[in-house]
Amino acid sequence: MKSYQFKVILLSSILTFNFFKHSFAQYNSQYITGHFNGSYENTSQYYMKDDKIKALQPLEKFSSNGFLKLDYNYGDFSAGIQYESYMPPIMGYFPFTVESNNKIVNKYFKYTQNKFAVQVGDFYEQFGSGLIFRAYENRQIGINNALEGFNVYVEPTDFMKVKVIYGRVREIFDYSKALTRGMDAEINLISLLKVKENEHTPAITLGGSYVSKYEEYTGPLDNFPATVNAFATRLDFSTNNFSLNAEYVNKGKDPHLVNNYSFKKGNALQLNSSFTKNNLGASISFRALTNIDFKSDREQEFATIGPLNYLPALTKQHDNLTSNIYVYSTQPKGEIGGQTDLYYTFKTGTKIGGKYGTTIAANFSYYSSLNDSSDLLSAGKEKYFSDVNIELRKKWSKKMETTLSYQNVFYNGSLQVLSNSNVISNIIAAGILYKFAPKKSVRFKMEHLSTKKDQGNWTSALSEFSFSSPFAFFASDLYNYGKTKNHYYNVGASVTRKSSRFSFAYGKQRAGLFCAGGVCRFVPANYGFTASLTTSFAN
Amino acid sequence: MKKTCILTFTFLVFISLSLSAQESLPSVKLKAVSGRQIDFKDLVNESKDTVMVISFWATWCIPCISELDNINDAFEEKQAIKPFKFYGVAIDDSRTAQRVKPFVRGKGWKFDVFTDVNSELKRALNITDVPHVILFKNGKIVYRHTGYIAGEEENLFETIKNL
Repeated sequence: MKSYQFKVILLSSILTFNFFKHSFAQYNSQYITGHFNGSYENTSQYYMKDDKIKALQPLEKFSSNGFLKLDYNYGDFSAGIQYESYMPPIMGYFPFTVESNNKIVNKYFKYTQNKFAVQVGDFYEQFGSGLIFRAYENRQIGINNALEGFNVYVEPTDFMKVKVIYGRVREIFDYSKALTRGMDAEINLISLLKVKENEHTPAITLGGSYVSKYEEYTGPLDNFPATVNAFATRLDFSTNNFSLNAEYVNKGKDPHLVNNYSFKKGNALQLNSSFTKNNLGASISFRALTNIDFKSDREQEFATIGPLNYLPALTKQHDNLTSNIYVYSTQPKGEIGGQTDLYYTFKTGTKIGGKYGTTIAANFSYYSSLNDSSDLLSAGKEKYFSDVNIELRKKWSKKMETTLSYQNVFYNGSLQVLSNSNVISNIIAAGILYKFAPKKSVRFKMEHLSTKKDQGNWTSALSEFSFSSPFAFFASDLYNYGKTKNHYYNVGASVTRKSSRFSFAYGKQRAGLFCAGGVCRFVPANYGFTASLTTSFAN
Repeated sequence: MKKTCILTFTFLVFISLSLSAQESLPSVKLKAVSGRQIDFKDLVNESKDTVMVISFWATWCIPCISELDNINDAFEEKQAIKPFKFYGVAIDDSRTAQRVKPFVRGKGWKFDVFTDVNSELKRALNITDVPHVILFKNGKIVYRHTGYIAGEEENLFETIKNL
């Protein structure tokens, strides 16, 4: 048995022993006073063929993803499992070679005290903003890169926080062959310098991270690095109305399939700043990166399987149907750009604010290539993406609310295999929500996307009715009247009771990038039925 | 190696033997837009028999924002009927986390908002979707609800009144 496995098993056994000992000691004397907590989520689809939108009917016409999570807290202890079933996985969720499977994929034991915590088993963690390391779960997109190993959190002094990670990254039903270890320390400068605090004292923290991956190399090259080290440093400064965060990451030589086995080092720099004042909020972000894709498996080409760091697209996430046609995803090989946001609420009682206030949200983002991959600040000539958008939201009365938005998007066609030309599009969306009785409402929204490129113009309409809680119905159509004349209609209903929700829909989905949390995967066109159930429960 | 294991074992036995009064809520460290830092467990415990509402939301979730806007509009009126504590928990990760403070301040909401950037609290309370509202009283979950449709805040206020 390898020493890594031995350590994990030993620590698990110790924690299990203590956990059960305390649970049952309590049970013998009285009863278990712990807290059970769980959730279940299932998404199932039935596929039909549609030649017009190029939706194929796979051999397995029915697919289903299920997640059952159970947790138990008892005093300072907690333990849990996650069981997942893919019978088979829904279309586009995993690489097509992944077959039906079901398994307990996560299990953990955790002991938490005020200034100390240790978790053994599968755990999630993040250093800084995740630019160097993030283990997380996103079920929509199909990411779960939890580490199996151990995770320690300790506050050795009043001004310091330390995190340690050690383990292997989950890759679908298995674990990566590579071993990942790391450490993160954060120092609170105000506490360290014993500054007398009052309401104007800023919060200043300095952080540093180290992450190292060891993956055996058996190839012919002498200089091929089996160990890849990455370092990060960060500074956070904030007052009540102002904040500034800076983070810099340096990654050593990390040749892998996605970067064409490049021996170049990787770098990333990120700056965020925000300012707020009476009903006004503004923020600005800058990020430049080169060769920063950090993966637990050097031969893995899918971005959603076993990533070690988190590289979200720093753009606005819109909720329009048409805005999701040209979405940006981060270019880890090299990218420079940023975004700015502005939020303002016109106070109630003013001319624009009216009786209930009016809010305005504006955003601008811009990304381009790097001229020189070894210089983070060498903004290149090739533009990747830009988005200028503004949204107005006004509540006219207790019964009626309207929204109006405009968006101008530039999308570099070379980023997506489906289209080769650069696309400039303009989107207008208008929506209204009307409450015709308490708990009875109707929402209607119309959108239009105009472009001369790719598939030309699109339009969409969406209506939602909720006649009385807990039922709601919706119908929508996204229509490409520019080139393909394809309708992507959907109708459905949902019922919600307390913490359970069941929804059912029938319709067509276009082929394209499906993005959640800034990470995207390609989903083929599909036509058919979808049913979803989510529920949370506790004792 | 052996020595490390024996030390770890002794240490864990010691800390587990020193367990005192049992609380059953997860311990998660949270940071608020206001700068306040607190353990979730302490936040629930300090509200005692006053109903405490935690509303999970995100800057990209339109129904969540509608719900919080509508709760905010009726905040003082409903507090006068029966006082309750109310906090938002933004599950925005580092893609949108930098937006939370400007967004909340731009809205002028009357309640404080915590951030849960790697979904630690969301996971500990087994929340699958936002919006999701949880009500606590005397350290226990007394009600929870997922999703939002216009007018549903009235149900929430009604529930608070009856607890």
